[in-house]
Amino acid sequence: MILRKAKGLHIDGRKQMSKESPLHEHLNPQFVYIPLLQQTSALKRTVEVGDDIKIGQVVALREGFGAMPIHASISGKVTAIKKVWHCSGKMVEAIEIANDNQQRMADSIMPEADVTHFTREELIEKMKQAGLSGLGGAGFPTYVKYQTKSSIDVVIINAVECEPYLTCDYMLLNEYPEKLLKGLHYFMRAASAKRGVVCFKSYNKHIRESLQPLLQKYEGIELREIKDIYPAGWEKYIVQQVTGKTYEGLPAEAGAIVDNSATAMVFADVVEKNIPLISRVITITGEGISKPRNYYVPLGTPVKELIELSGGYINGLVHEKAWYIAGGPMTGRAILIDDLIVSDTLGAVIVKPMPDEKMHPECLGCGKCADVCPVFLTPTEIRRAYESKDVDAIKNLNAQKCMACGLCSYICPSHIEITDFVGKAKDLLRKGA
Amino acid sequence: MARFANGKAPFLRISDAKNAGTGVIMRDFMIGLLPVILFAWYKNGIKVYMDGNITFFEMLYPLIFILLGGLISTLFEGLFFYITDKNVRTLKALGAKLKVSYAIIPGLLLAMVLPLYTPIWVLMFGAFMGTIVGKMLFGGFGNNIFNPALLGYVAVGFTMMGVISNAGGLFNASEVLIDSYGGATPLGVLARTKAIDYNILVAPYGTLWNFLFGTIPGALAETGSLAIIIAYIWLAFRKVIKWFTPLIYVATVFILSWLIGISSGEAGLWFPVYSVLSGGLLFGAVFMATEPVTTPRNPLGKVVFALFLGVLTVLFRYIGNLPEGVGTSIIVMNLFTLPIDRMTAVVRANGVKKTTLVTTIGFSGLLIILAIYAILKVQTIYTALIPFFPIIREVF
Repeated sequence: MILRKAKGLHIDGRKQMSKESPLHEHLNPQFVYIPLLQQTSALKRTVEVGDDIKIGQVVALREGFGAMPIHASISGKVTAIKKVWHCSGKMVEAIEIANDNQQRMADSIMPEADVTHFTREELIEKMKQAGLSGLGGAGFPTYVKYQTKSSIDVVIINAVECEPYLTCDYMLLNEYPEKLLKGLHYFMRAASAKRGVVCFKSYNKHIRESLQPLLQKYEGIELREIKDIYPAGWEKYIVQQVTGKTYEGLPAEAGAIVDNSATAMVFADVVEKNIPLISRVITITGEGISKPRNYYVPLGTPVKELIELSGGYINGLVHEKAWYIAGGPMTGRAILIDDLIVSDTLGAVIVKPMPDEKMHPECLGCGKCADVCPVFLTPTEIRRAYESKDVDAIKNLNAQKCMACGLCSYICPSHIEITDFVGKAKDLLRKGA
Repeated sequence: MARFANGKAPFLRISDAKNAGTGVIMRDFMIGLLPVILFAWYKNGIKVYMDGNITFFEMLYPLIFILLGGLISTLFEGLFFYITDKNVRTLKALGAKLKVSYAIIPGLLLAMVLPLYTPIWVLMFGAFMGTIVGKMLFGGFGNNIFNPALLGYVAVGFTMMGVISNAGGLFNASEVLIDSYGGATPLGVLARTKAIDYNILVAPYGTLWNFLFGTIPGALAETGSLAIIIAYIWLAFRKVIKWFTPLIYVATVFILSWLIGISSGEAGLWFPVYSVLSGGLLFGAVFMATEPVTTPRNPLGKVVFALFLGVLTVLFRYIGNLPEGVGTSIIVMNLFTLPIDRMTAVVRANGVKKTTLVTTIGFSGLLIILAIYAILKVQTIYTALIPFFPIIREVF
C-alpha cells in the first residue's frame, strides 16, 4: 500500500574518503581514560589512584540492569580520576591510566584449548564477564539479549553501516573476515539458533567475495544483501528483511537477535582467547580532516591523538564554523570541545565545515517529512501538538515510536529542525505521562 | 583545545545544497506554470491576432495581464511588509523578505483563472483579497488557511461577475463571433439546462478533442487541458506535487459523473470525459488542490482531501447554482485541512485499530453518503422518487 510502505532514502555515502587508507593500529596511547558511564548508568569504580593495572583487569562495575564488569585497555598506573568529554555530549568522570608500554596482560587472558564444549549458559556468562556491549551505537549489553526466554531462530549480523561517512565496521570486516563468521558461530550457539545471517549493503560486493569461500566451514550461515538506503541498518528493517516479521519491542519477539559485526568479532576473541571488550575501530573522517582513516585503538584513547595522526585539521578550518560530530552525521551529536575520548559506542568522529548560511522560509507544508518517515509518523503534526503542549495528541500521534533517524530534518526543504521537535515532544510525553 | 560550533543532528541536509530547498521547489512550480501561461497567451492572443480580430497590442494583452497579476500581488505584499515591519524598510531587506515569501505566485494563479476581459481594478481587488486578507493577515507564507489565489478568485466571483461580463467577459474576440457558442461556456450550458445530452453540451464546441486542446471558451488559462497535463507530469516528476492528489481528485469526479450519467440514462463515456475536461477542474486539481501550505501534509490526508474534493465538486456542479464547483470546493476543504491532517496522522501512525476505527468509518461513511446524495440528486431519479417519498422534497 502506497501509504504505509517505508521506502527509505538513498543518501550519498561519502565513505570513500576514509576507505582509501588501510586500517591503522594505534595500540599504545600515552594515557587512556575509562569513562565511568555506560549508556545512562554510572559505573562503580573498583580501583584507586596509584593502583597498578594490567590489560583486561576489572576497573569498574556496571550495576543494576545489565550488570557487568568494565576492563582496563592498557597496562600501567592509575594516575588520576578526571572529568573528560564523553560522546553522550556530557563531561563524565573517568579513570586516567598512564601507559607503561609493556602490555602486561591480566592472568585471565589466555587462549582456550578447546572451544567446542561450551554450553549456551557458559557462552552467555562469558559475554557478561567480558563486558560485551553493542558496538553499533546503542551500547546495549549483549548478554541481556541472549538471556531471552523466547526461542531464537536466527542470529543476524548487522554489517550494513547505513550512516554516511562511517567505514569502521567495513574496514574491520575487511581485515578479519573469518573472525566475523567465528563470532557469529558462537552467537548462534549462545542463542541455540540454527540460522545465522550476515547483512551488508549491496554495493559492498567485496564482503561477499571474501566471506563466500569461508562459508562451508560454518554451518547455517548465509549472506544477505540489503538495499543501499537509509535507514537500512535499523534493527526493525533488517529483521523484517530477513524474517519477514515485524515486532514492537525487542527483535526476540520475531525470533531474532541482531548484533553488530564488530561486536561479533570481539566475541570471537572473548571465546577463544578470553580477551574482554577493550578495543574498537573508530573512523576519523570528514571534510575537515587532512587524511581520513580508521584506527584500531584501546578504549579510552583521546581522539585528539588520532586526529593528529591523521594529519590534523585541514588548513584554514575555522573551528567556530565547523562541526565536531561524535557518531554518524545523521544521528550523531555535536561536541563543542575537541577533547573527546573513544568509548564503546563511539564509531566515528567527523569534522565537517558548516555549510553556507542561507535564508530559509517557513514550513510550506510539502509533507516530505511524513513521506519519508520509516515509522509513518507525521512530524508536522507532532510539532504542532508540541507547540500547543498537547500531551494527549502527542501520544495519539505515536511520537514515542520515533527512533530519531533524522530523515525528516534531512529532507526538509525549509531546513526546519523537525527531528529535534519530535525529540522534544517525546521528552514532554515522558514527563507528562 | 579548540571550540567547535553547535548543531543538531542530522548534519546532512538536502536544503544545504545549492540546488535544493524551498526556493527550488517554487522555481520548479513556476516552470510548471509556463506551458499553461504560454497556452493562455496563444489561445487568447496569438491565435486571435492571426484570425485578424485584434491589434498587435491586444495580442500581447493576455501575457501582460497574467504578469500584472504577479506584479500586483508582489506589490501588495511588499507594501504590507513595509507598513507592518520596521526592519524591512530598505529595498534589500524587502527583497530578501519577498524572496522567501513567494509573493508572485498567488497573483499569477489568480490572473490565470480570471476571464480575459476582467478590468485591472477587479484584478487588484482579487489580489488584495487573496494576498492581504487571505495570506498576510493570517501570518504570511506558511500560515495561511485558504489558498490565496482561490480566495481572491472566489471573492471576485461572488461580487464582481456582473462587472466582468459588462466589460467583455469570458470570450475572446474570436469566440464572441462563433454563433454556436451562444454566449455560454460548456459548464454554463450544463448549469442552465441540467440536461446530459451530447448535442447540447459538446456538439456546439466541436468534439471532445477541442476540450482536450483547450479551444473552448473559458477563463484565461483553465481551458488548456493538454498544457495542464504536461505541467502535471513535470511537477510530479520534480516531486513538487504529490502525484496522486490530482489523480484521485480527477478520478473521483470522473467516476461520479459517469454514475450520474448512467443514472439519468446516458451511459456514454463522453460525459465523464466532458466533466473532467471542462471548467477549471484540471487546473484546480494540479495547481490548487496540491498547494502545500493549505492542504494536508501527510499522504493519507492528501488522499482523503482529494476524495472529498471530488465529491464536493460534483455536488456543487450538478446541484448548486454555480456553474463552477472547483474553486468553491477547494476553499471549503481548505477549512478542514487541519482536522483532516490530525485525524489521518493518527490513523497513519497507528494503523487502523480500535482507537482509529471511528475516524476511519466516519470519513468513509461521510464520503459515501455525499456521493450517493450527489448521484440521486440528479434530476430524473430525484423527481421520480418524490411521489414515493414526498418528505425528501422538504428535507433535501
